[in-house]
Amino acid sequence: MNVESSTVSSSLDAIRAQLAHTRLSTSTFNLVVWIDDPARRDWILERAGMLSEKYPSFTLILDHTGARSGDATVTTAAQDAESIFSVRGERVDIDVAGADAATVAAYVNELCGPGVPTILWWSGMREESRPIFEALLPQVQTLLFDSSGGARDEEAMRKLVAFHKVHPEVELRDLAWMRLRPWQDMIANFFDDPALIGELFSIRRIHIESGSDSEAFYLASWLASRLGWAPTGHDAFTDRKGGRIAFERKRIGDIRRVQSICLDSETSWYHGEVTDDPGVVRVWVEGEHAREPRLFPLQAIDNASLLERAVLETGADDVFETALRFAGALLE
Amino acid sequence: MTTSATQTTDGVAANPLRKGLSVNRIPDACNIVFFGASGDLMKRMLMPALWNLRLADILPANYGIVGFSRSAFSDDEFRAAMKESIDQFSRTGPAKEPLWSDFAKHISYVSGDFDDVNCFHKLREALEQNDKELGTGGNRLFYLSTPPSVFTSIVDQLDKSGLGPRDNKTGWSRVLIEKPFGTDLDSARALQAEVSKVFEEKQVYRIDHYLGKEPVQDIMALRFANVIFEPVWNRRYVDSVQITAAETVGVERRGGYYDNAGALRDMIQNHVMNLLALVAMEPPVASDADSIRDEKFKVLRAVRAIDRTRVTLDTARGQYDEGAIAGQPVPGYRQEPDVRPDSNTETYAAVKVLIDNWRWADVPFYLRSGKRLAHKTSEIAIRFKSLPHRLFGEAGDALDNNVLVMKIQPEEGISLRFNAKVPGPRMHIRSVSMDFNYGTGFGVLSAPAYERLIGDAMRGDATLFTRWDAVETAWEIVMPILDRWQNAIDESFPNYSAGSQGPPSADRLLAMDGREWRRI
Repeated sequence: MNVESSTVSSSLDAIRAQLAHTRLSTSTFNLVVWIDDPARRDWILERAGMLSEKYPSFTLILDHTGARSGDATVTTAAQDAESIFSVRGERVDIDVAGADAATVAAYVNELCGPGVPTILWWSGMREESRPIFEALLPQVQTLLFDSSGGARDEEAMRKLVAFHKVHPEVELRDLAWMRLRPWQDMIANFFDDPALIGELFSIRRIHIESGSDSEAFYLASWLASRLGWAPTGHDAFTDRKGGRIAFERKRIGDIRRVQSICLDSETSWYHGEVTDDPGVVRVWVEGEHAREPRLFPLQAIDNASLLERAVLETGADDVFETALRFAGALLE
Repeated sequence: MTTSATQTTDGVAANPLRKGLSVNRIPDACNIVFFGASGDLMKRMLMPALWNLRLADILPANYGIVGFSRSAFSDDEFRAAMKESIDQFSRTGPAKEPLWSDFAKHISYVSGDFDDVNCFHKLREALEQNDKELGTGGNRLFYLSTPPSVFTSIVDQLDKSGLGPRDNKTGWSRVLIEKPFGTDLDSARALQAEVSKVFEEKQVYRIDHYLGKEPVQDIMALRFANVIFEPVWNRRYVDSVQITAAETVGVERRGGYYDNAGALRDMIQNHVMNLLALVAMEPPVASDADSIRDEKFKVLRAVRAIDRTRVTLDTARGQYDEGAIAGQPVPGYRQEPDVRPDSNTETYAAVKVLIDNWRWADVPFYLRSGKRLAHKTSEIAIRFKSLPHRLFGEAGDALDNNVLVMKIQPEEGISLRFNAKVPGPRMHIRSVSMDFNYGTGFGVLSAPAYERLIGDAMRGDATLFTRWDAVETAWEIVMPILDRWQNAIDESFPNYSAGSQGPPSADRLLAMDGREWRRI
């Protein structure tokens, strides 16, 4: 791929003039990335870069960390070295450290292409960034967040729950939730055997060990939403018959990673535990429905893959939204 | 909100946790038995496909993979051979520990002849052992990846050894049959008669791996998930349709098989007919297997029979001579290993087909397939009619017909050709192309067809498999041509050079209608 970068002033006119040298041949989405945490800047830029290189898209990096020097970089990636018109991706990185909300909103409004969805990846946690966040919201179809991206505690999840209550119309994607898909597959796999489906309705205890809180809340809430349990307090659910399901969690291991899960039914214990290879989980069942240990591959959960899914899976995710509401109830 | 286990359409209790996950229904616990397990297909395609299904968590928790063939292997030797095939051919790279060892525990092997009932008793014991030790629940998928000559024998021995569905009291039994299903109409009917003695139609999965390719599945998406195409998808707007399946390879190591088959049997009767059905069918009433297969069958039924007297007018055949592919000299067909030196087998077939229904009356569908052609290309090209009135364009400007091309391989995507004004003060018109490519459009590569098809057969989803009525009708369509070609030596053979566009007779076929083939 032929990549060409130019540094210009951060004025909209200068950026537009530079972009006018080329035209996107195909565009599938606009990705707007907000960064205000210097410690996570490189990590986020790398992931956004992987996505913009892979898809014909327009990427706008709004860099509020102060690491840039008041300029903008316009990068175009051509499909082949021969072509000057056939462009596979465009990316603009802008220093917005001193910019107010109206200026940042103007960048998004003026530079993002029409006719394709605009996705905002909001990696910010600072309260002072809130006005900018509010100003960008009306321009985006999908909000991408990571409730366990930067901290182990439940604070980011509380913010997300609060946001969803106020803005239920915004399509939400939480990378912390999306990271759990292989674990959800694994748990579902326990009960694919028709003979074991009934076991789901006699679960009495959930124990989850994870490096950050979002994963535990999401997994438990997902099970609850699928099985008709209601949250009761911070550490329990109630099933349809009024039975109590204890919810226990322990913060252990790497941030953003689940270490183990155990589901206790009335007759059996269902275990999943990461092996020495972090991409493989050992699963086994003890009790009446005992099963020998076997290995379960965790599918790719790298953030570039999650970002891909977030942009490819359009529309509201009602399973996620229900789980988020239940997580909110646990957090109250 | 789901509050209890619901039922799937086949009456199985649905797992409420599956909603919203990547696979909404994992296949039942089962054994998959591969007949012809020491063959090339197993090595290059089937075992790598199973491994990737495992990596994608699409295999059930309880499964057994049992190889069956004449070659003498121990379980460990077979596992080692399968690991080698994954290492060499899997799209996800070599098999890694600890997953490989866990996967290998599910693999076993039975050596035996396809006509020896004692060997099938051994197989039955192996499957029953898997049911006990691996929890495979009596469910069995038999995959016939053998030469067609032993299909009947295998099905017969399955029945005699108690492995048929009638004797399976604890689970389901399905049979997956590789193409070709018969070598002509009579043999296909004879095979069907034998298969149907043992398996009901809903238990039979006839593979046409073309149907597992993403772009083939996208034909229906293009037609029925967009509003702009269907209104012009008919005789009012379509001038003609060309379906091409061109290869650069020769017969390679399949000379013995191919010399008794030819392009008409090997490609047109199955792959190309399936493409024809997908592109010409009416919208199905639902997306389930039988609704789609009902519509495909209706199209094939509506294909006008090619009268024996019209075979020479409506078809063309060819056989490649020596030539060059990508600058490298290659031998002629008659010089290939295991091919008769005076062979009359066609390596190129072109057929003009008419569909007698309201949508397609008088629209010709030109089908062609050949080996050792200039490029490897599989595509469907819809050529729309000429403008009713020429308004724009300078004298000498060619106002080309619009053409919509669905590319199946090696490129996967869609291309639309239309006319546009050339920049400048004068009204020059030029034809331009707008391309969509799966790789760059979605940034992901399509999974190999066999992964999709094996997973579907395990789940009991027959949508991408060919039903008997369609197979039989496709044979009925090509039989007059086969009969004629078999009984009339083509003295012009070999009549096209390797690396060319095909025989001149194919060009004449379209020239008679005032049309020409798209360049391969």
